Amino acid sequence: MEKKRTDDYEPGPIPSPRPLDRFGFVKQEPNSSPDGLTRGRPAHEYEREEGRVRKWRKMIGVGGSDWKHYVRRKPHVVRRRIRKGIPDCLRGLVWQLISGSRDLLLMNPGVYEQLVIYETSASELDIIRDISRTFPSHVFFQQRHGPGQRSLYNVLKAYSVFDRDVGYVQGMGFLAGLLLLYMSEEDAFWLLVALLKGAVHAPMEGLYLAGLPLVQQYLFQFDHLVREHLPKLGEHFSQEMINPSMYASQWFITVFSYSFPFHLALRVWDVFLYEGVKIVFKVGLALLKYCADDLTKLPFEKLIHALRNFPEDAMDPDTLLPLAYSMKVSKRL
Amino acid sequence: MGSHSKGRNKSYDYSFKILLIGDSGVGKSSLLLSFISNLVHDLSPTIGVDFKVKLLTIGGKRLKLTIWDTAGQERFGTLTSSYYRGSHGIILVYDVTRRETFTNVLDIWAKEVQLYSTNHECIKILLGNKETERAVTREEGLALAQEHKWFFLECSAKTRENVQQCFKDLTLKVLEVPSLLGNGSAVVKRQILAQKKLDPRSSGTGGCCS
Repeated sequence: MEKKRTDDYEPGPIPSPRPLDRFGFVKQEPNSSPDGLTRGRPAHEYEREEGRVRKWRKMIGVGGSDWKHYVRRKPHVVRRRIRKGIPDCLRGLVWQLISGSRDLLLMNPGVYEQLVIYETSASELDIIRDISRTFPSHVFFQQRHGPGQRSLYNVLKAYSVFDRDVGYVQGMGFLAGLLLLYMSEEDAFWLLVALLKGAVHAPMEGLYLAGLPLVQQYLFQFDHLVREHLPKLGEHFSQEMINPSMYASQWFITVFSYSFPFHLALRVWDVFLYEGVKIVFKVGLALLKYCADDLTKLPFEKLIHALRNFPEDAMDPDTLLPLAYSMKVSKRL
Repeated sequence: MGSHSKGRNKSYDYSFKILLIGDSGVGKSSLLLSFISNLVHDLSPTIGVDFKVKLLTIGGKRLKLTIWDTAGQERFGTLTSSYYRGSHGIILVYDVTRRETFTNVLDIWAKEVQLYSTNHECIKILLGNKETERAVTREEGLALAQEHKWFFLECSAKTRENVQQCFKDLTLKVLEVPSLLGNGSAVVKRQILAQKKLDPRSSGTGGCCS
């Protein structure tokens, strides 16, 4: 399926536009499949996909009008469907509904524009320096000063003014960038606000405040969870002096949007926005569990390399996420 | 990172821990990538820490360099400070085109080194990266380095000029300090053979200057 798509962009042997995957990322190597989707999908899967979209449309109603009603009546159905993945064509809208950002936007008309146009931020230079380094392989963000880079700058600058204690911290660009691929600037901004200020779940701002208190807390908790769920691996980590700050900081700071395959990041975000940060712990644990047998054999250097370069099969959402859902972490968090 | 199929038996004489620090965007990750893989391409900002291993032979010694690359943004200090401990070499990087990255070497990074580095004899190199439209002269860099008894070098992660040289010089210097060889390199503790002496002011822009 993916092959066919790229053929549209690349007729014959002319090598001019570089091949993109179905999310708009430039492919690293033509024969590798970083998004793990090269396997052709049989026709009945398309039908199933269409069926799912129909169900979702019914569930959310026109422009999301039925959503709250549906969630109140059937929260478990919603959870189950979200865990299977939100249809890509509805993702942007559903993300805004489940994160509470839609309400924030409606309650604060004109605020975003004010922040972008009239305010100045102490972080402007820091933001500018990182703009071209955020999703540099995505077609939307590649053009210097193009619409992608401009909207990314606006969202980050607006946030740094909106919350001057947080300001701008590296990593936030990946959150904003991911959101901008599915919604407008203003919507992305309010979703960022909803997350950091805790519209629905625990506020995330502690991940970015001075001292990164929430990162420290999550890493500490994750360390304990590893020992609890994977005692053998935990023991091996201790012996090799590996701790979660060496590999998991970016999992929490960017909610897996920094260095994981994009199609996996999206599936994690679907669940993250509905269920909260627990899914980050669960996915982290699931990754370790899936690879535990290999990891326990590795010495320090290879270990830390492996913890940043998980095998492709481990990062297949349909393998990893069910495993993640099966991890029990609630007591600890 | 290249795969080393040498199995688990130690294939090196010494293992050194090298740390890269400096302001955000000065090119620490690019330098490391350029040193490790000959590749030069756009990188995302480092979140927290990253890490690479390089095996090389210098002065007849087989060495394993474990190189820790840190996030430059000040906010990440709480995550990166613990990685100074036990370093054999520290590379303080600035961007010769951005003066504030140079002044921050003194205002921020030298202080961090003093606070968190545990090996007092740990070798430090001041490294000016990029070399286009410069805002910091070579002389200024050299003067700052001399004042702190650091080594000094300018390089370019883009053209890869002097990148290998930097890591090589640093490693040679580490090899000259017995206390550094003793701690951390938990490997075959052979006699330190007479090292090929490194002339402090060799080859113009090339070698280290002490």
